[in-house]
Parts: sequence; structure tokens; C-alpha cells
Amino acid sequence: MNIHTYEKLWLVAAMVLIVGFIATITYGSVGLGITMVGDQQPTIEPSEISDDERFGEPRVEHVGENEYEAYVVAQTFAFSPDPIEVPANSEVTFYVTARDVIHSFSVAGTNINTMVIPGEIAEMTVEFDEPGEYGIVCNEYCGSGHHDMEGMLHVVPEDEFDMTELSVDADDELELGDEAAFNVSVENRMLDDLETTATLEIGDEMLEEELTVAGGDLEETTFTVDTTDLGEGEHDWTVAIDNYEESGTLTVVEELETDDENEDDDGDNGSDGDDDENDDGETDGGEDDE
Amino acid sequence: MAKPTEVRTMSEAGSTYIDAFPAEAKVVRAAFYSSFLALAIGGLFGVVQTLHRTDVYRFMDSADYYTVLTAHGVLLAITFTIFFLVGVFTWAITTSLDRGVEDIRFTWAWYGLMVLGTALVAIPIFAGFTDSIDMSASVLFTFYAPLQAHPLFYLGLVLFVVGTWLAGVDWFRSWLAWKAENPDERIPLPTFMVLTTTLMWYIATLGVAIAILAFLLPWSLGLIDSVNPLLTRTLFWFFGHPVVYFWLMPAYMMWYIMLPKVSGGKLFSDPLARVVFVLFLILSVPTGIHHQYLDPGIAEGFKFIAMTNTMFLLLPSLLTAFTVVASMEHGARQRGGEGYFGWLKALPWRDPVFTGMALAGLMFAAAGFSGMINAGMNINYLVHNTFWVVGHFHLTVGTAVALTFMAVTYWFLPQVTGRALWNRSVALVQVVLWFVGMTFMSNAMHRAGLLGVPRRTAEPQYDGFEFEAAVGSVGELNAQIALGGILLTLSLALFFANVVGTAFNGKSDSLPANGYAETLSGSEDAPLVLDNLKLWTAIAVVLVIFAYTFPILSIVDRGGLFGPDVNPFPVSLDTLPVLGLVLEQYVTTALATAGELTGSIVTEVTP
Ligand code: HEM
Ligand SMILES: [Cu+2]
Ligand SMILES: [Cu+2]
Repeated sequence: MNIHTYEKLWLVAAMVLIVGFIATITYGSVGLGITMVGDQQPTIEPSEISDDERFGEPRVEHVGENEYEAYVVAQTFAFSPDPIEVPANSEVTFYVTARDVIHSFSVAGTNINTMVIPGEIAEMTVEFDEPGEYGIVCNEYCGSGHHDMEGMLHVVPEDEFDMTELSVDADDELELGDEAAFNVSVENRMLDDLETTATLEIGDEMLEEELTVAGGDLEETTFTVDTTDLGEGEHDWTVAIDNYEESGTLTVVEELETDDENEDDDGDNGSDGDDDENDDGETDGGEDDE
Repeated sequence: MAKPTEVRTMSEAGSTYIDAFPAEAKVVRAAFYSSFLALAIGGLFGVVQTLHRTDVYRFMDSADYYTVLTAHGVLLAITFTIFFLVGVFTWAITTSLDRGVEDIRFTWAWYGLMVLGTALVAIPIFAGFTDSIDMSASVLFTFYAPLQAHPLFYLGLVLFVVGTWLAGVDWFRSWLAWKAENPDERIPLPTFMVLTTTLMWYIATLGVAIAILAFLLPWSLGLIDSVNPLLTRTLFWFFGHPVVYFWLMPAYMMWYIMLPKVSGGKLFSDPLARVVFVLFLILSVPTGIHHQYLDPGIAEGFKFIAMTNTMFLLLPSLLTAFTVVASMEHGARQRGGEGYFGWLKALPWRDPVFTGMALAGLMFAAAGFSGMINAGMNINYLVHNTFWVVGHFHLTVGTAVALTFMAVTYWFLPQVTGRALWNRSVALVQVVLWFVGMTFMSNAMHRAGLLGVPRRTAEPQYDGFEFEAAVGSVGELNAQIALGGILLTLSLALFFANVVGTAFNGKSDSLPANGYAETLSGSEDAPLVLDNLKLWTAIAVVLVIFAYTFPILSIVDRGGLFGPDVNPFPVSLDTLPVLGLVLEQYVTTALATAGELTGSIVTEVTP
């Protein structure tokens, strides 16, 4: 075959370019140890997501020093959890799966981007150095409301980050002379111990208690207040620890109407943010109100 | 049934295609017109999309956006491109072998099948606009399960593809008949290009044929309960990447055999053109997984193999760039051009056929750069499924291919109608306007993609956050996209003015003769092995097996042949398919005698 000299030069240059590309990317992915979305994860039946250990309750977990795992479920037309909150200076591994159709999990303006396919779990490890707020979009068409599918990723400053959940169980209405009990439970989902002070403010009274919640544990404490000291009427109260607050109102009356007992089941302190069936005075904490 | 071979030489002075092959010219013309109809509707939808997305002008519900986008994607990426291709390929075979098709009825038959397929696909898509028909197929042209379309959509696609398969049979038939009469001759270059492309297409379409016939169609008919979304998606991209080359090959063919001619010169090298087409045959298919770099469930290693193949696929395109520029330079020097760059001035810039193709080639070079970003496994994370990708393929298929097609149309129309082109100046303005419009639109799309603006989204404006541009603003990008879309639509209007104007022009006797470029280094320089189509097909098949067997086995092993338990997500409103209804009705009618029964059954089965 009769090849022109220039053409030969061009051919060689083209081959060098191609091999160069492949080498650069190979180095980029193998040499630097960047992993791609692959088949690391087992499959999952979309119909069994609700019972799954990881995805049944989509959340962020603390798994090691500065290491977190986020279990995210995409479905038409939302991500959960939303927002996803992680601290700066951390390494977060995202596990994302879909309940219905193909979606994506894409953090706008970054290279955090993966397809989310029903039956499969995408795994991606990301380092977050700086605090910031990012939008999450679904960039794969998933049906008529596709454009409404969005979420947020909050990377909060390290010292403002915790995974504390506060819930308070208290009475709504009491008879003058009764003892008002505020059952406070504090869950610490971080691995490190949490040293904190719980406070109750009601009327002019202010109660305090030092609490140490071991990593991954839950502590309970009860504040008691004598309603005689409060007197008849409505009393706003607030229980607080660190950045979290729960408040409510206690009504003290002369005499309770004697229909059914107005008692609430006290065993229900452990419930967390997504349990909406609040009975009586119980309010659930867990949202960071920064 | 071979016709008695009439001697019809294309070199006969002043003999146009329609003079030489009147029957074939009719089919080619019909194929072109079908293609243009798709371009007209699809293009109109394109501008509707740009205005809606950017919130410049919204007149429809955002849910309908996806119906519009499905139609835009299918009509332009499938209908427009492939109808034009079959027209050009039929022209290329008949012209370069200098013989008519073996049986014109067969030719009309495959054309008819393609039309029927298109109609069946279009019905459920367009029915998506109205609630009064219980049918829709707003699944976009990728129809990823578990999104589910009406069965007619899948059925139409199958018939359309079968039509193209038969077209391929037609071209092979012509070649075999010719070979029997000319046993010692080299395959003429245009025929060689048609045959290699067709072989590539046969291999590629197997993927989509299996995806539809084995899974999606039975699933949409309710015959199977579930599919494996990763499997059907992988089979789609088995076809979806090479289809890109199916669009591109007729454009390449035009750059090789028409551009040198309209530049006033000859093709630089016939052997290298053959090498390029052989490389496309071999490498086009085992690369599809590069569209799935971000898919969970496919091992990194398989993605890596796809990437390597993709990078090597740059080679034929780089070679093409060389040959095209060298041939143009040769043409320019024949026309008296001189100097290192001075020859550029001697090119026929007033000729819309030349200018359109040259601008298309220039845009393709730009597309090469964004394509290299897409192809890099790791950089791809930044741009995958963002508006960047849409910017990229409006440079490739939306310009390199579409603008080349429109430009050569100005040469082809007189050949297949026997009428002079209505207006050359309008044609020149048209191709330049497309280039300008696309520069605005595509550049802004690329930039928006880098900010994370997603593709395929009716309202890329979110409640919780805004996209932040480092340079300029999102508003400025939107303005450029809308402006680009409007210029492109104006350009299309001028194009159709010329198509229609030409159709109504009187017959002309002074048209240029049919033909294509000669070569500087001809087929006698090409090693014989290049014409060994069996060998190249075998190598292509081996590479496909190598690239796909393990990924597919692994996907099936992980998720099951019919997938995990996924529920159909009918984008078609009606889960009980009309086709099933029709079948059921047909069977019952045969069994029962009374006509009244039929009526009551229809109402019974309607959910
Ligand atoms: C008037 C000219 C055109 C305009 C204004 C236009 C505009 C657009 C826009 C805005 C989108 C993106 C929609 C989105 O992702 O939300 C799009 C998608 C697309 N366009 Fe065009 N386009 C034009 C011509 C073409 C041509 C000539 C082709 C091919 C030959 C083409 C092929 C496509 C394809 C394949 C898609 C992707 C569809 C999908 O994502 O499912 N377009 N077009
Ligand atoms: Cu979506
Ligand atoms: Cu591709």
C-alpha cells in the first residue's frame, strides 16, 4: 500500500495520542486509586428495600473516624434522606439504590454522579474537605415529574456536626398538685461519646443535667417538676441540648375531667424523626435547627 | 430476478441520476422526502424544547415536554438520519456499480416497511399529547425499562429495523450480481463503504432486536412480568453506540467521495478510505459500554475495555480528518490556490454544497474534543447526562451529520428530481446560519453542563439551589441556547423553502452529471485483503464476543434474565395494551359469529 509520508506521520501522531490518553486514564484510575462505580455491591430486590437493613431507613451513619456511610434511596420523584448531612473533612461512601425506575444521583457541579438502577446499588466514595451546600439532581429521565426530583447535600463545618437525636415525652395536661415528668432521651449516632448538658425551661424554672451518651448509644433522663410550683394555667416548656430543642405546652388545671385516662405510653421515647404519630406531648427531635 | 444488464455509464455527459436510473431515483427521492418530513417535525420540536427549558417561552405542560423530547429524539436520531442513509446508499450502490437494483419491487418493499414502522412508532408517541387516546410512549428514544411504552412503539421499531435489514440485503444482492459479472474487479469505493457499514449495522442491531423481541415487547404485552433493567439497557447501548456510526458513515462517505469533487480535486487515497471503514466495522460495536461508565452492576474492568476500544476508534476519525483536508487542499491547488494557508481562499466558498460540508467537518473537529472528555472513564463523571452531552451530540449528529446531509441535498435534489435547485444563495445562507446557530446553542449547552445542569429536564430550575456559573450567568447561557435554537429553526425554514421550491421548479436539461470524486491513489494501491469482507466481519464478531460475553453473563447472573422484581412503570397510560385488545378481539370474532359480540367484548376488556 502506498502511503504518503505526511499521512504516515499523522498516523504515528494519532497512535501516540490514543495510547497517551489510555495511559493517562489508566494512571488516573489505577495509579491514583480512584474507584469507579462498578459491581462491588450485591443486588437488591426493589420490593424489599423497605425491609433492608441499610435502605429500609435511608440515613447517614458514622462508621469510623471521619468516615461515614450514606444510604440513599431514589424514587419518583424524590431522594431520601433529604437533606443529606455530612461533616467537612470527612470521607463519605454513598450507597444509592432505586425503588422504581432508573434515576441518577448527581451532585450539581461536581463529579459525584452515578446512575441509580432498580436492583443495583451504586457505591461511591467521596472526600469532603470544605463545608458547603450542594444541590442534588436526578439527571436521568424518570417520568413526568422528573424535573421536580431534587435534594440537598449539606457539608457542615466539622465542629457543628453531630448525629444527636433528641426526643421528649411529656404530659399535655395535669391536675394541680401532680408531678410533671419530662422523659428526655438522647441518641448519639456518632461513634465518639457525647458529653452534653440537657436543660429544661418551664415557667421560671430551669433544670439542668449533665449527660454522657456513649457512641452509638441512647441515654434517658427525666426532669420532674411539681405543678404546684407552676400554678394553674398554660406553661410553655423547652428541652434543649446543644443545637437541639424540643418544646411544648403543659396545661395545669384545677381538676381533670374524668373521661379516659389521658396517659400516654411512656415506652415510646426511642422513636426518631420520621415517626409522625406523636401522641400527646411527645415531640420528636432530630432535625438540626442551625 | 436480475434485469438484463443495460449499459448505463455514469460518465455519459450530462446524464443525471434520474436519467440513468429513473426507477431507483424515485425510491431515493421518496427516502429523502421521508427523511425531510422527520427533520421538519423534529426540528420544530427542538426549538419548542429550547424555549421551554430555558423558560423563555412555555406554552405546554411540563409533563408534555417529555412527549416532545421523545418525538424529537426518535424523529431526528432515527427517522431523519436513517431514511437519508438508505437514500444515499441506494444511490451509491447503483451509481458505483453502474447497475440498477435487482428488483425494484423489493426496494419499494423495504422502503414501505420502514415507513410502516415509523408510523407505528409515531402513533403512540403523538397519542401521548392527548388524554382522549389511551396510549403513549413518552419513554425517550432510549426507552429504558422499567419505563414502559405502548407495544406499538416497540413493534414499530422492530419493523423499521427489519426494513433496514432488507435494504442491506438489496445492496448485497446488487454487489453479488455485479461481482458475478466482474470477478476480477475491486469493489468500487462507495459500494465498499455501503457494504462495511451494513455489516456493522447487522451486528449492532442484534442488541436492540434481542432487547425488544425477547424482553420489552413481550413485557409490554403482559406476557412476561418483569425485565432486568440493566440488561435491557446494556443491550440498548450495544446498539446505541454503533448507531452513532450508522449516522456518521453516510456523512463520511460524502466527505470522501463528494467533498473532493466539489472542491475541484480528487480523493487523496482510496486505500486509506477503505482502512477507515474497516476500522469502523471492527471497532464500532465493542464500545457501547462507554455509555454506562456510571452504571452500577458492571465491573470496572469491562468499562475499561470499552474505553480502550473507544480510544482506538478515534483513529479512523483522525485519519478521515487528514484525508479530507488533504483532498480539499488538492482541490484548491487545482483551482490555482497557493501558499501554506493561501489555498484555503481558492476553495469554492460560494457553493453551498462545499461550504456546508466544510463547516460540518469543522464542527466535527470541535466535537472531537468534547468527545474525548466524554470517553475518559474518570472525567466522564463530571459531564455524564448533563447538558454538556446534548451540546456534544448536536455537534456530531446535529451538525456533522445533519449539516452534511442538508448540504449534499443541494447536489442530490437535482439528481433525483431532474429539476434545478431553486435558489443557491438561500442555500448558502442556510448552511452558514446552521453553523452560527449551532455555535451559540452547543457552546452554551456545553458550559451549562459543566455547572451540572441536567439533560432531559423540562424545568432545570430547582427550589433548593441554583447553578452557579464561574463566568457569565445561567441567564446568559439560556439566552444563547434560545437564540441558537431560533437561528437553527430559521435555517431549517430556508432548507425546506429550497426543497419545496425545487420540487416545483421546471425540468432542466443543463444539470451536472451524476458521479463522484476520482482518486489520486486508487484501489490498485489497496491490498486485496482490504476487500475480504468475511475476514473483517469475523474479526468484528470476535471482538464483540470478547467485549460483551462476560458483562452480559455477569449482568444476567446478578440480576436474573428477567430481572429483579421490578414493576412496569407505564409511561403509556394504558397497561392493557391496545394490541392485545386487537388480537383478543380478532380471535373472539373468529370464534363467535355475531357481530354484536365484538362490540360488547371491546367494552368488557377496557379497564
Ligand atoms: C432546530 C434544531 C434543533 C434544536 C433547536 C434542538 C434542540 C434540542 C434540545 C434543547 C435538546 C435537549 C433536550 C433536553 O435534554 O432536555 C435536544 C435533544 C436532542 N436532539 Fe436536538 N435540536 C435540534 C436539532 C437536532 C438534530 C438535527 C438532531 C439529530 C439529527 C437532534 C438530535 C437530538 C437528540 C438525539 C436529542 C436527545 C434526545 C433525548 O435526550 O432523548 N437535534 N435537541
Ligand atoms: Cu429523574
Ligand atoms: Cu457512544
